[in-house]
Order: sequence, then C-alpha cells, then structure tokens
Amino acid sequence: MSDTNFDFLDRFDKRVARLAKQAEKYVHTDPDSCMFKLRLMVETMAKKLTSLQMRGDISKDLGAMLGALERGGIVPRRQADCMHAIRRDGNAAVHGSPTPVPTAMRRLHEAYKISGWFCKTVKRGTNIKLLEFQPPEPPIPVDTDTKKLHNKIDQLEESIEQRRIATRESLLMFGPQEDVKEVTRRIIEELKALDNVAAAAGEPIIDADFVALVMAMDLEQIEEDPRHGGDSRRARREAEEQLEGIKRHLAERENAFVAERTFLLEQRKNK
Amino acid sequence: MSMTVDLPTLWFLCARTMAVAGEDLPTVQEAATGLYAQAILGLTEEECRKAKDAEHISNKTLIDCLAGVRALPSEEAEKLLTGVMMIAYADRSMKPLEVRWASMLASAVNVTPDVFQRCCVNARIIASMLRPSGGDSS
Repeated sequence: MSDTNFDFLDRFDKRVARLAKQAEKYVHTDPDSCMFKLRLMVETMAKKLTSLQMRGDISKDLGAMLGALERGGIVPRRQADCMHAIRRDGNAAVHGSPTPVPTAMRRLHEAYKISGWFCKTVKRGTNIKLLEFQPPEPPIPVDTDTKKLHNKIDQLEESIEQRRIATRESLLMFGPQEDVKEVTRRIIEELKALDNVAAAAGEPIIDADFVALVMAMDLEQIEEDPRHGGDSRRARREAEEQLEGIKRHLAERENAFVAERTFLLEQRKNK
Repeated sequence: MSMTVDLPTLWFLCARTMAVAGEDLPTVQEAATGLYAQAILGLTEEECRKAKDAEHISNKTLIDCLAGVRALPSEEAEKLLTGVMMIAYADRSMKPLEVRWASMLASAVNVTPDVFQRCCVNARIIASMLRPSGGDSS
C-alpha cells in the first residue's frame, strides 16, 4: 500500500502532487511547513485554473484570484471555502502564527478532497474515485496528554468552521440548498411578465422613465468619484448612453403593446 | 399564494430580484446583501439564514413580494428600497429590468418622487463604497 494519499495527482499535475506529498510528510513534524506547502499547492491550482479557464487580467493575489474563480463559476462554493481556509491558515503560518497539528491535518484532508475535484476540472472526462483519506501516522507515538490536547483543538476547529459556515450562509443572497440557475430563470420570467404588464398599464406613482433618470444621475455621480476614475465627461457620456438604452427599451415595449392592441382591434373589426 | 411575507424573506426576494435584473449576479452577491440586512435592517444571522430556507422563499412570487412590501411600515419600506437600489448601483450600470423592478417596488412602497430620490442618494453613497477598485486580500 502507498504511504501517500496523493499518488493519483502525479498524472495530472506533477508540481501540485509534489507539494501535496511534501505537506503530507510534514504534517506531524512541522505543521507550519505543511501549511506553507498546502498554501503553495492551492496557489498553483488557482493559477492553473485561471490560465485554463479565465480571460483578461487576473490578479496575482491569491485571495483575489480565488474570488474571481468563484465568481466566474469555475470553483464551486464548497471547494472555494476549503481553498480559502488553506490560504488563511497558510498566511497565518507565514506570518509566524504557529499551526497546531490537528489544524494542519484538517487542511491536508481538505486539500485531498479539492485535489480530486481539481483533477476532474483540469482534465474533463476524467474518472477519479477517491479512496478514503488515510491520515498520516505520527513518526513517534503521541502520548495521552497530547492526544487530549489535539482532540480539544480539533473540536475548536470544528466549532469555528461551523460558525464560519453559518455566517457565510447568512450573508449570501441564496441559500446553500437553492438551485441558483432555476431561481434566476424563474425571477427573469416573472420580471419580464411584470415588464409587459407595466408597459401596458404604467406604474401609478414612480414610473420607469423617472426611475431611469434618477438612476442615470446617480450612476454619473458614482463614476465621477475619484475612486472610479473621476472623469466627469466620461461619466456623463456613460450615464447618457445608459439612459438612452433604457429609453429605447421602454419605447420598444410600448410600441409592442400598441401594435398588439391594434392587431386585436383589427381582428375584432374583421369578425 | 401566501398572504404575509416576513421582512427577512422580503429583503432577500427584493434584493435577489434586483441582482438578477442587473445580469451581474456574482458582483452583487458580494455587494453586502447580508451585511445590509444585518447592519441596516437589523436582521439577525439566524433570520437571514431562515429567510432563504425553501419553505420561506421558494413558493413566493414577485407579486407576493410586492404585496408584502406594500404592507410594510414606511420606515422599513424605505430602508428596503434603499438597499435594493444599493444593489442596483453596485455594478455601476443599469439594465431595463432593473429600472422596471425599481419602479414597481417604489410604487408598491408608495413613496413620493422626493422620497424615492432620497433613498437613491443614500443607496448611491453606500454603493460607491463597495469595492471601488477591487481590494487585494493576499
């Protein structure tokens, strides 16, 4: 039996495989180094995914890179959470915060799970069946007191993890069990129906023309902000273009309504 | 159709509708939906999580949403409208369905044009603070 969990990675990315195996080797003897290696492994994965699947200028910063991959739908939420956790603990280790063995082991396990997903992503159609993760054995048997301490640290890690998940779930726009695509499709369908109704009936108090004008003025001011460029003429031009676009849409909607009404009247006349 | 919709559910319904209408969901997801709910609307983490449970939100239509908003006290309704406009401004562009949703919502809330403009100014101020140039986090 192999003494590593990460042999399967060799076929897909030798550098990632080497970093994973090194992290695995250090997990008991030098958990800080284990975290360095895991962080570097995640960074290597993120760079590869970025170069394969993202267009445009991508930040070299790992946090921003992971954010862009997640927003682009390339890294799913669960994998992104694990990658961010490794990044955070890796950064903490780099900045001198000591890593307990259970924390390093937890991140190593997460790295194992991400690795399976990573292989399937970089090589489409790959069939990988991950075996159960085998935690590396300590080189020297751990005494009872250390075991107790490790258990406590592990429980603490678990409670932090649960807390983090709860906070994240509360902040996001969609729940973890929701099918975002389906919800989005339904909302667009309903919005379009409301758009048609409003084009025919109008809104009683705040009409769309007024809203578009207010929004255009606000967007112009946002663009004028020095943090967004600060070019007044460009801001005005962009706001005016956007306002024109909205006006065109509203006019098209109204024309479509008038055409439909005319058609119906003509049909009635012909009967 | 459900007759009463609680504030947390209303917030997430209104907010996600604006986000979807803006065609730029990921940016907006980042744009403090939950933070606004907790910091400005005063909702708890638990309320925010529960609001997105299937039993709370999946059977609600936009008509339910508009009816729910109409029944809110004016102060809450204006805060909600401000938050929704913040989401509309988060990507610094406007789309036809965003305009339509804002117009529908503002009419349902029954605000005057002056109040609507005030909500928009507040929304613009918050939105201009949202990741102006994409911060790095190492």
